[in-house]
Amino acid sequence: MDIIRARDLTVGYGRTEVLRDLAFTVPEGRITVVLGISGSGKSTLLKTLAGLLPPLGGEFDFAGSRVDYRSEASLRSLYGKIGVLYQGGALLNGLSLFENVALPIRMQHPKMPEDMVRDMVYASLAQVELAGSAEKYPAELSGGMTKRGGLARALVLDPDVVFCDEPSSGLDPITSALLDDLLLRLKETFKMTLVVVTHELRSIERVADSVLVVNDGGLRFSGDYADLAVADDAFIRTFFLRKDSHDDA
Amino acid sequence: MSEPQAAAATPERILLPKRLRAPEVVALLDDIRRRADAGPLTLDFHEVEEFDSSTLALLNYVRGRLANVATVNIGGALARAEESFVMRPPTEEPEGPPSGGLPGRALTTIADRFIFQVKSLGRFLAMLGDEVYHVGVYLKEHKGVYPGETWNQMFFMGYRSFPIVCLLIFLVGVTISITSAEQLRLFGADIYLADLVGIAMLRELVPLMTGVILAGKVGAAITAELASMTVLEEVDALRTMGVVPEKFLMVPRLLAMTLIVPLLVAMADVVGIFGGIVVARVTFGTLPSAFIREMVTSVDWTDFGWGLVKTVVFGWAVVVGSGFKGLTVGRSAEEVGRATTESVVLSITLIILIDCIFAFILY
Repeated sequence: MDIIRARDLTVGYGRTEVLRDLAFTVPEGRITVVLGISGSGKSTLLKTLAGLLPPLGGEFDFAGSRVDYRSEASLRSLYGKIGVLYQGGALLNGLSLFENVALPIRMQHPKMPEDMVRDMVYASLAQVELAGSAEKYPAELSGGMTKRGGLARALVLDPDVVFCDEPSSGLDPITSALLDDLLLRLKETFKMTLVVVTHELRSIERVADSVLVVNDGGLRFSGDYADLAVADDAFIRTFFLRKDSHDDA
Repeated sequence: MSEPQAAAATPERILLPKRLRAPEVVALLDDIRRRADAGPLTLDFHEVEEFDSSTLALLNYVRGRLANVATVNIGGALARAEESFVMRPPTEEPEGPPSGGLPGRALTTIADRFIFQVKSLGRFLAMLGDEVYHVGVYLKEHKGVYPGETWNQMFFMGYRSFPIVCLLIFLVGVTISITSAEQLRLFGADIYLADLVGIAMLRELVPLMTGVILAGKVGAAITAELASMTVLEEVDALRTMGVVPEKFLMVPRLLAMTLIVPLLVAMADVVGIFGGIVVARVTFGTLPSAFIREMVTSVDWTDFGWGLVKTVVFGWAVVVGSGFKGLTVGRSAEEVGRATTESVVLSITLIILIDCIFAFILY
């Protein structure tokens, strides 16, 4: 089943169209990687799917319902089903890691007993192996820890879909691989759907089940990762550094 | 071209050295400039082996700008480099219709800016309305705001602002008293300094100065904090957590401002009047008790009350104005600084505008 279904979706800022007429689906319980070169519109597409940037045209369904940007109820419903890991983690600097992860619970369920909040926060922090750093503030965390903290916050309310904006950018290969393992574990253990924006080849190879390739203002490929390997597209061949790229491009 | 001219135009050939990098290129250009009147030149690149981007720029420059200089024997690595390097920025299509000349473009710019300002005003007023609504909903439901944040903001706005507000208001009290004392002395009206200081401080100077200090200290801090949060995607993160940032971030600040301003104004009134008492004692030898006895004949609680109301309204203007600037900032760090400056200007403008409206209402 597809959890996201986009039709003629055009995304961008103001009057500037970044990606036009996109038609794609995101299958449930799998990791979909959105890939493309820097500036191709990957993050813009993610922001639109996460309810932060109104589409300039077209529409998309989330879990069977059309997302209406003019309706506060529709957006609230969307926000209740997603978690987002931002590029820089986006932890609130004034709050400890524990309080950052607890924030979505406190805001969505203000009457939840504190003991339960603690259990949920520590369970989420344990998933990203940060339970020992709960009382630290974002300024005291490394880049990789900040991202894992951001992921713990995105996971704490068990969303249907987790959007990850360049989770491995700026990280060393070992930390990056740990994050990839974590994403795979989330998919396999909790049957979670993940939409991962990245251009890191190693990450793509490890985690991708299906792929959306964006470039030059449009969608170049949409489908299974296995099919991508045989896709007859010059940009995709160049992107994956295949031997014949220069000959055919 | 006539025959004699062609004969006179036999070019002088300069054989360029093996190494032709930036220092040699600059020296060569000097040489070419010196020979400007000597007739046509031919630059021979035959022996050039070591070159850099300035060499490629030289080729472009010579071909584009120096009509009497020719280039020959460009081959090997230099020729390949020349092919693979684009030395000119791409020619961009003009964005708008170029018609209308300078006056047309000026009018378009003015119209665009006017529309932008009108839209900004609309968004500001919408945000003001939203904030009043959010505060009302929060007071009713007690949801959507981080627990304890109002106290944190009260500490920041109040406790940390008391020293600077007191110091500046005391100095204002002293200044206004010294300036007025000289004039009052001429008419033998020394004792009326108490009335003047009382009315000026309670009704006008304390609210105005407190508002301006809050704009500079609290408003700038609010904008810088919210703008940084916007740039670092923390505001987006709040939104996707189902939190309304305009409520989560602004309501505690508005409540803190509403609660802390009365204390701040009361303290500032006392300190400002104390400044007047000090000057009256030093200048005229007026006893503090006589000063206060005279002052209360011309001011009463309504003056204090209106000063309080004005300052609370100024405080709201500061919080909403600075919050508006912080939450509507662009995505670069540079814009954080710009937004902070603009927020102080906007807050002070709003304070003076509101003060003017109060003046029409009260007097």
